[in-house]
Amino acid sequence: MSLPDFVQILVTGLAMGSIYMLMANGLFMTHLTTGALNFGQGDFLMIAAFVTVSLLTAGAPTFVALPAALLVLVVLGVLLERVAIRPLERQGARDSGILAWILTTAGFGLILENVATLAWGKSSHYAPPLFTSRKENVISVFGVGFFVEELVIAGIALAVIAALYWFLYRTRSGKAIAAVAFNRDAAALLGIDVRGAIVASYVIMALLAGTAGMLVAPITSVQAHMGLIYTLKGFVVLNIGGFTNPLGILVAGLVFGVAEAFCNYFDSAFGDLYPFIFIIAFLAIRPTGLFGEAKADVR
Amino acid sequence: MRGRLRYLVAAALIAAFPLLGVNVFYLQLAQQVAFVSIAVLGLNLLIGLSGQLSLGHMGFYAIGGYGSAILATTYGWPLWASTLAGLLVAAIIGGLVGIVALRARSHYLAMATLAFGYIVEILAQRWIDLTGGTMGLFGVPQLNFGDFEHGGIYFFWLVAGALLLLQIVNDYVMQSAWGRNLRAMKESESFAAIVGLNVSLWRFGVFVASAVLAGLAGVFFVHQNGYISSDAFNLAQSLTFLIAVVIGGLGHPYGAIVGALILTVLVQFTAVLYDYSLVLYGGILLLVMLVYPGGAAGLLSGIYSRLRPTPKAVRVAANERAELDDAFRGRPGEGGAGESLLEIDNVTKRYAGVTAVNRVTTTVRRGTVHSLIGPNGAGKSSLINIISGLYAADGGRICFRGQDITGLPAHARARLGIARTFQNLQLIYNLSVLENVMLGAQSERTGFVAGLGRWCFSSSFEADLRRRALALLGFFGLAPYADMTPGDLSYGHRKLCELARAVMQQPTLMLLDEPIAGLNNEEAAEIADAVRRLRAAGITLLIVEHNMSFVMDVSDRITVLDYGEKIADGAPDEVRNDRRVIDAYLGVEAVE
Amino acid sequence: MLSRAGFAAVSALCVFAFAAHAETVKVGVVQGLSGPPAIVDFGESYLQGIKAAVEDYKAAGGKYQIELIVYDDEANPQRAVSMVQRLITNDKVPLVIGTVSSGNVLAFAPILQRAGVPLMAGPSIATNIVSQFIDENPSFIFRCSMVEKYQIDAILDWGVKNFKKIGLVHSTTGYGNFAAKEIKEGLKQRGVELVAVEAVAPSVTDLTPQMLNLKNAGAELALNFNEQFELMFRAMAKLSYKPVVAGNWGISSRKVQEVVGNDLIEGSVMGQALDLAQPKAKAFDERMKKIYGDKYRWPVVAALGYDGARISLMAIDKAGNDPKKIRDALEQVDGYDAISGTPPKPFGPKDHECLDKKDVFLGVWRKGEVVRLQ
Repeated sequence: MSLPDFVQILVTGLAMGSIYMLMANGLFMTHLTTGALNFGQGDFLMIAAFVTVSLLTAGAPTFVALPAALLVLVVLGVLLERVAIRPLERQGARDSGILAWILTTAGFGLILENVATLAWGKSSHYAPPLFTSRKENVISVFGVGFFVEELVIAGIALAVIAALYWFLYRTRSGKAIAAVAFNRDAAALLGIDVRGAIVASYVIMALLAGTAGMLVAPITSVQAHMGLIYTLKGFVVLNIGGFTNPLGILVAGLVFGVAEAFCNYFDSAFGDLYPFIFIIAFLAIRPTGLFGEAKADVR
Repeated sequence: MRGRLRYLVAAALIAAFPLLGVNVFYLQLAQQVAFVSIAVLGLNLLIGLSGQLSLGHMGFYAIGGYGSAILATTYGWPLWASTLAGLLVAAIIGGLVGIVALRARSHYLAMATLAFGYIVEILAQRWIDLTGGTMGLFGVPQLNFGDFEHGGIYFFWLVAGALLLLQIVNDYVMQSAWGRNLRAMKESESFAAIVGLNVSLWRFGVFVASAVLAGLAGVFFVHQNGYISSDAFNLAQSLTFLIAVVIGGLGHPYGAIVGALILTVLVQFTAVLYDYSLVLYGGILLLVMLVYPGGAAGLLSGIYSRLRPTPKAVRVAANERAELDDAFRGRPGEGGAGESLLEIDNVTKRYAGVTAVNRVTTTVRRGTVHSLIGPNGAGKSSLINIISGLYAADGGRICFRGQDITGLPAHARARLGIARTFQNLQLIYNLSVLENVMLGAQSERTGFVAGLGRWCFSSSFEADLRRRALALLGFFGLAPYADMTPGDLSYGHRKLCELARAVMQQPTLMLLDEPIAGLNNEEAAEIADAVRRLRAAGITLLIVEHNMSFVMDVSDRITVLDYGEKIADGAPDEVRNDRRVIDAYLGVEAVE
Repeated sequence: MLSRAGFAAVSALCVFAFAAHAETVKVGVVQGLSGPPAIVDFGESYLQGIKAAVEDYKAAGGKYQIELIVYDDEANPQRAVSMVQRLITNDKVPLVIGTVSSGNVLAFAPILQRAGVPLMAGPSIATNIVSQFIDENPSFIFRCSMVEKYQIDAILDWGVKNFKKIGLVHSTTGYGNFAAKEIKEGLKQRGVELVAVEAVAPSVTDLTPQMLNLKNAGAELALNFNEQFELMFRAMAKLSYKPVVAGNWGISSRKVQEVVGNDLIEGSVMGQALDLAQPKAKAFDERMKKIYGDKYRWPVVAALGYDGARISLMAIDKAGNDPKKIRDALEQVDGYDAISGTPPKPFGPKDHECLDKKDVFLGVWRKGEVVRLQ
């Protein structure tokens, strides 16, 4: 394969990998504080994409449309925690275990999908480019064509993750979240607002999913059922990266995205099979991910 | 036998149903409810009882179905052969995924099973030469016993009959030691190991069983209508099974049937309300998980039990001498009192940077009470964990009854006759106090089929077991709490419960880790009394304790550890006056 | 206070009067109405045509009161079979119309054939739906929809004549894989090899790698048989690679036009059966736009749904509630002025396809409209 082709696919891979990585970090955030993963996170992405598309097509400028979409998502994040997660804590460790939040978050996601079909119909929608008009969407760098969004996605995603990392480990509120993740009761005894930290982590998750949604919309098409595959790939990336570290997830996501792009280049017929076979083999050998830690089961 | 009447009634209903003049559509729906119930039954056992999550169970459904369909259609095998072959393939693949399930837990298992489901879906769709892809295979022979007109009725009887048999087995499992053990394993694997359960084997077995059940459902599915297409096997199908389990009632014996029934009705509804079907599914999921976590079966059970009070559990007068002596009997073993039972030889354990146990050597003699004391952090609990098999030693040897057990896993050691209690308590909070004690009796579990027979036809199923357990509870003063869960008991009572469980194991050697911590003087005296009784019965005890008066009172021999090293070892009086022990631990009385 | 006898007499009179006025005939419809957009677009469009046909039948003074019973099969064969069973056993319909996925149709067609209830298949396009049953005496399976083989033949004939290097992008779903097989065989018969073949998994949303392969192979004609038709165009935009795109009738969807944009879709060719230059077709198009607004996305599918339903209603008009008689009447329908390319006498004892090979032609996007390719 020629160098321009290689670069083309690499950039595509990095762009999509950044999307998966944002999703994975979103899953990571909620897992941190509540041990739960939002199985409807792809639907969060989808709502952000739809809101962005609607506002941009209606003529709103980008700097209005994007924050608006993020705002909607913040509301959804708070709502999810309130409706699908908090009530489960009161039940304690019942028979269902982790199945409980899988089903409540999935149920929440299904409702979002239905809302989307009622509001925007069941067909695919076109997302206008975020930063340019339709015609000037493609730029050429050394003879290789890219969508503006593709180049920007990786950059924005990296910036967002850097901000997340700084927030979690360098600011006071971030450390509060980490404390709650470590031991909720001890954090409470230290005067940390545990409920606030939990809600904050869900808001962050929603913002990450929302960012992914508005970034991915212009390079694909938007429809009500687009979300599931992003949730799944985000989950795969989280498993590979391990459940402990946003930077590990970043690396895993980019690697996964690039690998997927090259697999599709070389074998498009079965390219999407490889990641799943890989992940099963990987989990059989290293069940806690690249950067995760094994927890002893002895009390 | 009285409780078994319901199965006869069910059988009668199954026989009568198709003859009541129901039309083809409802007959087909009933068939569908039946085989979906079978798949969901397997899932209920897997998730509800053994706590292993599978998000890709459709994969086994598909494999069973395709296995039988391909062999019967493309290769012309007779149906009974192709059916068995389909089940076999499902079992084998189930075994492979089950091995992954042993390694991966919780979220990782969810991911692995999800990936598995996807792989099956993709292969079914694209391996067109084998499966026909989405156009599928046509002319798949139907299970109608050669009679086209009445074939549907026979098929219904076949499927519903299979379901009834499986339901009976399911109920047996849930009401017997099999279910108890699974529930215990789900909650605490270390507990399960030290009562003698090979957790990996059990988990694997349940996984394969659930895969075979899903495969059986798949076989019935493809032979119901005579076609198979890969469009029927996708992620949505796996989620459908999951939803059915939860809506029906996870862990409830009738959860599978109720869930399959509700789901089938729901599908018929959403065919008409297709613009709102997702809101319906999502809403029901939220409703069930948040408001009725016991599912529909749980809800109905709750109503039923409020209408009809439960009969009181069989009560036995505590302190029946014979029962108690029986309960306290240790295991017969070779050798007489005084010979060495447990040899700890230069055992070492290191954690990163800290040597917790440093070349400790001591011998525990049969029929004695041997205590292990020392300041905090001296390595006592680590040593107990090493002896019971939960930690691996970094050096040294352990011999029990002359056999080197250093490399044996914990459950094997339990089987040899070692029982233990925990410093932090390891009780199963999802089971009752009585059931917790009954869990100790692993060595006398009857075979599956023999137990099934006894459960079906005899009224004294597990009666001996219960009586013995109750007698033990009675001795410890816990008889009134037998049907409560450990969570309802005070700390002191929980410790007694755990002790009762350990005694139930009829061990040769008992390891007690801080048995009277948190107990008041009277309760401590009871424990001391129990310890003496156990010794009198021939059981050897190794006790870790802080309370010096207790230790001096009961022990025949004391070993003192300090910073992981043994600093004294001998009779209580020697140890009490040993200079080093006084410096490190006992201290001197303040001079007035 | 009416006496009981009096009440019975009045009721009987009402029923009699009502019956004499208009007997109801139920028509069963099974379509893909939820799930992936690729399916729903087809299902909803066909249903739009069916509903318009029922209205027109009523307006033209049809003999019967038509009641449409519509069930969603969620693109799942098990559901499709269950719904058909429900229609013929519970709802007792004398005719069924449906569905989108060819696999689903092939699953329930045997049931309808055995039960003796006629099926008007559509918008499914698999070639063997009708041919599988045509030799049954009599066959109850009809179709009013595009036939995959005809549109592939049309495209290949034209493609081989005008282009030297042809590439193919197909989805890995059942539809895509079968289309790929038919295309490869068809090209082999015409003595041509594909320069590139790329597959698209349903979960893939970016076709850059696939289009790169086509570009490097120098494909001048790109065959687009991937249900998410728009993805190919998007990738082409940034690769500055502009082959001519030809594919199945999906490319004529207004939704695809909206997503891809008039510039990129200009010149793309597809199988067609609706010539919007015809006045009747044009009038139909306008009317649908007025009723459904931008929910009306797919003129040719709606048109075929309309024609299929109209023809069915003509047969019902003659035969009433009797499925067997309806079947016979279908074969005899004549003098129907269709919206699509369906001829006035669409069926015969050995012909159960609305569209024959000569009725399928190629359409092309010109300046925002699909017209006949010359």
